[in-house]
Amino acid sequence: MLNIEGLLVHFPYDYIYPEQYSYMLELKRTLDAKGHGVLEMPSGTGKTISLLSLIVAYQKVFPLEVSKLIYCSRTVPEIEKVVEELRKLMEYYSKQTGESNNFLALALSSRKNLCIHPELMHANIVVYSYHYLLDPKIADLVSKELTKKSVVVFDEAHNIDNVCIDSMSVNISRRTLDRCQTNVETLQNTIQKIKETDATKLKMEYRRLVEGLKEANVARETDVYLSNPVLPDEILQEAVPGTIRTAEHFVGFLKRFLEYLKSRLRVHHVVQESTPQFLKDIFDKVCIDRKPLRFCAERLRSLLRTLEIADIADFSAVTLISNFATLVSTYSQGFTIIIEPFEDRTPTIANPVLHFSCMDPSIAIKPVFQRFQSVIITSGTLSPLDIYPRILDFRPVTMASFTMTLARTCLCPLIVGRGNDQVALSSKFETREDFAVIRNYGSLLQEMSAIVPDGIVAFFTSYMYMENIVAAWYEQGILENIQRNKLIFIETPDAAETSMALEKYQEACENGRGAILLSVARGKVSEGIDFVHHFGRAVIMFGVPYVYTQSRILKARLEYLRDQFQIRENDFLTFDAMRHAAQCVGRVIRGKTDYGLMIFADKRYARADKRGKLPRWIQEHISDGSLNLTVDEAVQLSKHFLRQMAQPFRQEDQLGLSLLTLEQLESEEMLKKISQIAHQT
Amino acid sequence: MRYLAEGHMPFNQDGVLKSAELVRAFLVMFLEVLLVVKKVRQRKQDGTLYLMAERIAWGPEGKDRFTVSHLYADTRCQKISPDGKAKIQLQLVLHTGESTTFHFSNDSSALKDRDAAKELLQQLLPKFKKKANKELEEKNRMLQEDPVLFQLYKDLVVSQVISADEFWANRLGDTNHADPSLSNNKQEVGISGAFLADIRPQTDGCNGLRYNLTADIIESIFRTYPTVKEKYCENVPHNLTEKEFWTRFFQSHYFHRDRINTGTQDIFSECAKQDEQGLKSMVVQGVKNPLVDLLSLEDKTLDEGYGVCTTLPSTSNSNRSVKESSNSAIIKRFNHHSAMVLAAGSRKGETPANQASETSNTDGNSRDSVFFQPPVKKVKLKEAIEYEDLQRENRPKTVALNLKKSDRYAHGPVPLQSQQYTTSQDIINSVNYIQHEMVNYKPNLTQVLSSTTASSAIAALSSGGVLMQAATQQAINQMVPSEVQGELKHLYAAAGELLRHFWSCFPVNTPFMEEKVTKMKSNLERFQMTKLCPFQEKIQRQYLSTNLTGHLEEMLQTAYSKFHIWQTRRMLRKT
Repeated sequence: MLNIEGLLVHFPYDYIYPEQYSYMLELKRTLDAKGHGVLEMPSGTGKTISLLSLIVAYQKVFPLEVSKLIYCSRTVPEIEKVVEELRKLMEYYSKQTGESNNFLALALSSRKNLCIHPELMHANIVVYSYHYLLDPKIADLVSKELTKKSVVVFDEAHNIDNVCIDSMSVNISRRTLDRCQTNVETLQNTIQKIKETDATKLKMEYRRLVEGLKEANVARETDVYLSNPVLPDEILQEAVPGTIRTAEHFVGFLKRFLEYLKSRLRVHHVVQESTPQFLKDIFDKVCIDRKPLRFCAERLRSLLRTLEIADIADFSAVTLISNFATLVSTYSQGFTIIIEPFEDRTPTIANPVLHFSCMDPSIAIKPVFQRFQSVIITSGTLSPLDIYPRILDFRPVTMASFTMTLARTCLCPLIVGRGNDQVALSSKFETREDFAVIRNYGSLLQEMSAIVPDGIVAFFTSYMYMENIVAAWYEQGILENIQRNKLIFIETPDAAETSMALEKYQEACENGRGAILLSVARGKVSEGIDFVHHFGRAVIMFGVPYVYTQSRILKARLEYLRDQFQIRENDFLTFDAMRHAAQCVGRVIRGKTDYGLMIFADKRYARADKRGKLPRWIQEHISDGSLNLTVDEAVQLSKHFLRQMAQPFRQEDQLGLSLLTLEQLESEEMLKKISQIAHQT
Repeated sequence: MRYLAEGHMPFNQDGVLKSAELVRAFLVMFLEVLLVVKKVRQRKQDGTLYLMAERIAWGPEGKDRFTVSHLYADTRCQKISPDGKAKIQLQLVLHTGESTTFHFSNDSSALKDRDAAKELLQQLLPKFKKKANKELEEKNRMLQEDPVLFQLYKDLVVSQVISADEFWANRLGDTNHADPSLSNNKQEVGISGAFLADIRPQTDGCNGLRYNLTADIIESIFRTYPTVKEKYCENVPHNLTEKEFWTRFFQSHYFHRDRINTGTQDIFSECAKQDEQGLKSMVVQGVKNPLVDLLSLEDKTLDEGYGVCTTLPSTSNSNRSVKESSNSAIIKRFNHHSAMVLAAGSRKGETPANQASETSNTDGNSRDSVFFQPPVKKVKLKEAIEYEDLQRENRPKTVALNLKKSDRYAHGPVPLQSQQYTTSQDIINSVNYIQHEMVNYKPNLTQVLSSTTASSAIAALSSGGVLMQAATQQAINQMVPSEVQGELKHLYAAAGELLRHFWSCFPVNTPFMEEKVTKMKSNLERFQMTKLCPFQEKIQRQYLSTNLTGHLEEMLQTAYSKFHIWQTRRMLRKT
């Protein structure tokens, strides 16, 4: 039982890390202020259990202030881990208080079990994936009625802006349009049939539409529902326009829209335009007004309901088109339209695609910030903290980054900037094909494979880059030399194949043979797989993982960021590269008993603008002496580090420093120390 | 037989041929000669080569003894001259680094002769190699790990007090006894991940490549790629010779991982297909650990058509360049290779596909089961959320000390003196006596020391007190130079080792032991003469008054007297 500024918290462990206490303190202050927070806490320091313990305690003590916890995480294993921790906490509660558990917790981890509306309403804790809250299509079904007095937690939130953008972007290819055509024809036939058998149904619908979407409007005004960014406010106050009110008219309207889109895809060069330009063009060409377009999504939904269509999935294409219609006519800013006649890599094959890209992540997340009293954005890597409030457009009451208190320095970040022959190491475009760089990267991996026990994970900046380097290493016989020390496994674009490679990799680490996993930053492995203990004793980041900058969509987004948020293109690109690098290297340290080398193999990491964007808990262990090492120097430092780490590490070594008993926690001196752990910005 | 054992051949001056036949018959009968090759030159001398069960030997023509004779166990490897060379030769390389070359000079059948010898050696050498290597390695390891033993080795073997065989005789025996489980079921040896790297081709200078294959590498290839073994069994020797088989193997795309299968009638194209099948079936089996299953990582991917389209390399094969698909072939092959090496090392004779299907059947971890959590998953999740350091350690994890004789550990070596030896009955009696004494104890208060005397006695006996000065131990430490101390230590170690050998002979109940004990006694005497006496003289020269070697001499004396007693008894028994 802990006392966090007057709140008694049940914590299901005998000991506590100082940073956990500090984290709970900041969290409580955020909840007290009924505001939003951005909290960065190193992975493996028990962030999840701290969050759960504090918020559950808060809910028990102030049931009127906070009545629900909505915990969002990214991957299925993450969600399952949260549920498991929650179970542990609940068991502890019933053991401590002696009363049976009256807390209802609910986890949604698959679309199959989506029939939980009432339960969701009553649950005290909901654990699910980001999409259930951020994707308007699902949020409308699942999360619409969640109470305002909820605390929303986005865990592993370092990529939340991309999730937001993804959920609001649409791509339309020829195939989409063809399928949409079939959908529309089916609709037409169904309407015809119903008209013959049950005409009243359609009349009822018509009347409802004339009266307008009053229901929804009332609900929103009385603040019952989470608003839907695809359903703008203005629509709710008006009736569906006459041109699309009857079912036949609407189908006709869709057909016209479809024909227009088809004509737009018949291009021979790339077209980029803003949403107002697009609307003007559609009005000029086929006389479609903005207003009916805005009602398109809602109108289609009503129609599908009326026609009692069971399997909505069959109509995904027409749903996509109507969502596009609504979005394009609703937002004059924050989106761009790019029509590409072919893929850049294959200019001879015609494959036109219309990209309707969201560039402003705040659009999708805005309703969440508006509706819920506290939203907590947290992750192991959120640096620099201040960029998230800017790109997501919200004002947090707390922004804090926590360090990791350590009884022994269990992480060893090294920046390798030169080969033994003094060649500068970098993945930058100009030296990408440079033989000397590739060779030096190879010798780095080879030397590390000889001194690091068990598992090594290496990340490359892109899949293409990895393929080329692997081929070069194969030709030079470097891979064969590495094989003398460890087995080699490589990520492929195929998820099933990679899963198998991963499992074999773990097996090889487990049985003592040792292995190397070559992988890709931004790939599935880098985002979702942890390499605890011997599964990752070293991680090597080959190069700085910049995003592929030639993409038009990215360019448009960068321009938007510059114009709207005053974030310079380079700042954003560096921020994005560094958060992915931090994600990659952070995969190997999962706790204080764990240890691992973090090797940044690119001289550009030594620059302050790069280094300064790493999380504080990594940054503070980079000494000036390890900024521009050669391969040999890095090997020497690594050997030293690994030898130290191989010594027995017992609980006593940690107690009082990085692990506290209740008594230790309550001492004045310790509380003073703890107050320095959180770094406010 | 006597002749032969000593390496002489009964040559008859009159009928050379006949007696040669006879010799061969003898040899085959008594020395297990497996192959005889005539017209083999060695150092420009004609002669005959004999391959026997345990050794290879060569004798010059017309002489009646072997001038060259090597145990197979001493041989590291054999090398043969490349085809097409004028001289057809076979070279033996010994562990010592020396080598012997035989030149097959029979015009008509030189190549056949050489190949016959090569084939036979190929079968024989590996058998001896393992044995010899294992022993050598073991000895080497022991010497490296144990500096004291190494010093002993130098003191006793290098200075020729005892022979190496004697030194090792009961050392190696010891280790075998110590851990019988280790020697009985020896561990399956895995495969080096880089065995293909060891056959890096060397250019031979005339547009050709030379691959060095050893029996170990071939075994590795077979174990890692069972399909190649199948092909080998199918084709060799009916369709192809061994050499042709391996030549084709190295030429095939199969060996060169970056070459794309071009669909020729290469016998290995089928292997590649089977490998691909195997890989596919492994992939289809899926993974057991749900935490590494990338397929079920995302809870819900965006619907088709939504999301920012990131330009990913297109995966369809049609629009990939040759280089790209060769790159991805390399990656696939590396994953496959590593998986196969891992499987070959972990479970012998079981293909990984079988393994996977077996396990997935038994633990019921099927992918479709939504309603119950598979046990593997539960365990992995529990592991993943566990913070071992946040919990109080319940059971202290300690390593138990495994003592063969715990009393020795507790008491240390104690001199065994027969006159002081007490039987258990004696002990019981004395305990009873003491108990009896204690019961009847009455303090004699009139004769107690006065308190001042008592406290001064205590002061004198405390550290720094009058009686506690001049600790003799320290004096010796300071008096004797450290170099002498070190030497003394070595002497002790060496003497101890010799004495151990000596005492281990008792009770002497076999003729072998008798011989050994006598030899050991003379070893001890030699040690005293060559090592101990010079040391004594040396310390006398340095005017060290302390008797440093007294105890050593005492120990030797005890051994001598024991030997003497045994000898007199033996004489008595004999007469």
